[in-house]
Amino acid sequence: MMVMVMVGEGVGFQDLPEGCIANVVSLTTPRDACSLALVSSTFRSAAESDSVWDRFLPSDYNDIVSQSTSSSCRSKKQLYLSLCENPILVDDGKKSFQLDKAYGKKCYMLSPRMLFIVWGDTPRYWKWTPLPEARFSEVAELVSVCWLEIRGWINTHMLSPDTLYGAYLVFKPSSTGAYGFEYQSIEVSIAVAGGETHKRTVFLDPERGKRLRYQIVPRRVGIFNRTRMVAAAGPPQPPRDNLDDQYPKDRKDGWLEMELGQFFCEGGEDKEVEMGVYEIKGGDWKGGLLVQGIEVRPKQCVHANNTI
Amino acid sequence: MSGISDTERMITLKTVEGTLFDVKSSIAKDLKTVQAFIDDSDDDVTSPIPLPNVFTRELSRILDYLNNHHRFRSGIEKADEEMARYDAEFAKSMSHEELKALILAANYLNVKDLLEFLNQTVADVIQNKSVEFVRNFFGIENDYTPEEEEKLRNENEWAFNGVEQD
Repeated sequence: MMVMVMVGEGVGFQDLPEGCIANVVSLTTPRDACSLALVSSTFRSAAESDSVWDRFLPSDYNDIVSQSTSSSCRSKKQLYLSLCENPILVDDGKKSFQLDKAYGKKCYMLSPRMLFIVWGDTPRYWKWTPLPEARFSEVAELVSVCWLEIRGWINTHMLSPDTLYGAYLVFKPSSTGAYGFEYQSIEVSIAVAGGETHKRTVFLDPERGKRLRYQIVPRRVGIFNRTRMVAAAGPPQPPRDNLDDQYPKDRKDGWLEMELGQFFCEGGEDKEVEMGVYEIKGGDWKGGLLVQGIEVRPKQCVHANNTI
Repeated sequence: MSGISDTERMITLKTVEGTLFDVKSSIAKDLKTVQAFIDDSDDDVTSPIPLPNVFTRELSRILDYLNNHHRFRSGIEKADEEMARYDAEFAKSMSHEELKALILAANYLNVKDLLEFLNQTVADVIQNKSVEFVRNFFGIENDYTPEEEEKLRNENEWAFNGVEQD
C-alpha cells in the first residue's frame, strides 16, 4: 500500500506506512521486535504484527504445531512466545518441540521411548513409570545395571540451519538415590553421519563436581554418595577449567542435564546425528537415575553488541 | 507499435524540483509505480511522468542503483562480489537522514530489490540498540505515558535483559 505524502524537510519515519516499518523490524531479531514496541505506538503496532513474527517462526511451524493439541494463540507473536516458554508434544507424544527465544531456532527433546536403552525392557534393570512432573508420559528409571548404554538419534533436516546445537541427557536421581556414579566416569558421544565421532568423559554425579570445585568436605551422606562398590583409586582430578563441562548442570525445570557434545547443523541436509551415553567397561553396578530424555537445542553464544 | 524494441524506449520522469530524467524502459520496469502508470496509459507515454513525492537527490540515487545492478546482472560471473561491494559503499555513502528519505522514495516508487536492501541496512543499524537511539534515528516522538511505557517494558522484560543464561 502506498501512502501519498507531501515530503518536506526532516523526513519522519512515521510517514512511512506501517507495513514498511514492519518489513524493517522483521529483518531484526525477536528481541529487537519486543524492545522496538517501546519506540512509539505506531512502531508497536508494526513490531507486534503477524507479518513480523511470522518471519521469526520456523518456516514449517504450521506442520509442527498442527501435531499438537495445544490451544491456538491469538497472534503470531503470542504463538512464538508460547512455543518458547511451553514445549509442545509432537509425533504422538514421542518428542517435544520448543523454540529458542533469542532467534526462534528449533529445539527438540526425545522421550525415553525414542531412545535405544540396552536392557531397557528388563524390569530388573530399567523400569518405566509415569511421573507427574515429567514432560512425557513415562520416564525411564535406571534400577541397576552394569552395562549402561543409551542412544538417541535426530535428523538434521528437523533442525534450524546455520546453527550450533548441543545435545543433553536430561535426568535426575530417583527417590531411592543414585549410586555408582561418584567415581565412575561415563563416556558420552556425538556423531554426525559421514563425520567423526566426538567422545568425552563426564561424571553424572553433580555433587562430585561441586566438591572438586569448592573443595567441600561432605558433612552428611547425600543421595549421590551411596556407593556400593568404590573403584580401587578415584579417577585422576580433572583440570580445574574442564570442571564445568564434565558435570551435570541444574535446569530451570528441576531436572539435571549433562552435555553429550555439540554439532553444527548447516541446513539443507539429511544427516542422522547419533548421541550416546555409555559405561560398559567398568562392570560396576550403578543405578538410581530417572531419565527424562535427550534434548537437542542451540548452544548459547555471546551475541556481539553492535556499536555504531 | 513501431519497430523499436522495448529496451531502447526512453521514459522521462520529472521530480518535485522539476528536474527531468531520461530512463530506459528496461530500468523503468523496476519502478513498479511508474510501470503501472505506463501500463494504464493507452498511448505510448511521451510527456514527462510527474513524481510529486520524489526529490532529485533520491531519484538520482535510485537510478544509479538500478543502472549498476542491471550492469552487474548482465555482466561477467564475478558480479556477486562486485555487487556486494557496490551495495556496501552505497549504504555507507548516505547519512541516516538520506537513508530515510531514500526508503520513502523507494517505497513510493515500489522498487522492490532496493527497498529490501534498504530495509536490511536500516535493520542492521537499529538491531540491538536502545529505544532512545531508535527514536532519535527516526525522529519519532515517544507517545506513551510513563505508566504505559513501564507496563510495556515489564511485558517485554526479557528483551532488555541481555543474553539469557540457560
